[in-house]
Amino acid sequence: MRDKLLHAPPDLDLFATDRPRLDQALTRRVNADPESVERGLAQLVLTIVELLRQLMERQALRRVDGGTLNEDQVERLGHTFMELDKRMAELREEFGLDQDDLNLNLGPLGNLL
Amino acid sequence: MIELYALTDHPAPSLPDGASLSTVAHAGLAFVWGPAPTPTELSPELLWRHEELLEKLMEDRDILPVRYGTRLPDEAAAAWALCERHHELALALDRVRGAVELSVRVIGTEREPPPADGMSGTEYLRAREQTSTARASALRTVHEPLSLSARASSERAPRAAGELVRAAYLVDREAVQEFAATVTRLQAAHPRLRLLCTGPWPPYSFSET
Repeated sequence: MRDKLLHAPPDLDLFATDRPRLDQALTRRVNADPESVERGLAQLVLTIVELLRQLMERQALRRVDGGTLNEDQVERLGHTFMELDKRMAELREEFGLDQDDLNLNLGPLGNLL
Repeated sequence: MIELYALTDHPAPSLPDGASLSTVAHAGLAFVWGPAPTPTELSPELLWRHEELLEKLMEDRDILPVRYGTRLPDEAAAAWALCERHHELALALDRVRGAVELSVRVIGTEREPPPADGMSGTEYLRAREQTSTARASALRTVHEPLSLSARASSERAPRAAGELVRAAYLVDREAVQEFAATVTRLQAAHPRLRLLCTGPWPPYSFSET
């Protein structure tokens, strides 16, 4: 791998956090059993939910920035998004998906998220 | 069963020795293929072997890598696929001709605290906002100038904690060193970020037909 490093910082370890995925990614692509079909459906549904979550979160941040919400409202909003984030993480875990899987390639339009 | 490796021009330099590869050609294009490993053999080692073969091919010819795990019943099926999709395959190979893929990842050293239990809703929103601001800023200061030095670029959602940019660039072979030097310059200009640039890789991110 060393010869593939065109520019690397001295603290290269920072980048070594997501290595185990190679194995997973491989087994994931080649199995076509019923369980992986169910996972494919979950992936699609969670991608749509993630799209909505991101849109709503952006909207919420804009409203917070705009200063139109009082402290209580900001706190409630933040709490709701935090819970949603946690729940999404649980569902991803359950279906063996990671954040990168929650996306759709729209061809010439690029990726959905 | 056969497994497809890459699309190349035909004729092309002879195939690397000892890799049991063959080609099937039609009208100026060829698929490089090899016998498909049986499913039980699949492993990260096989994936690396696949990658090594592609890199060897890439040394002396332009290649359009085929999605890993693409299998066809036999050589005739590969010839048929080549014939049927000739036009779009030729265009796709043209897009990457003379270029390789470089990958850049950017991590921020000022780590936002990960969303944790006990965080208030307001703190959570603030942390999210910081992350999104840091990402937007890294895209502007690193990704945008690099995109200008590349023929094409593709940006993906960050995956690891603290990761701000994960992008791939299609760079002319002769411009690779210059691109790497640009990365080094950007690193010097932004000491709070960590930039990692790897490659050259087969143009995986630019192989959509």
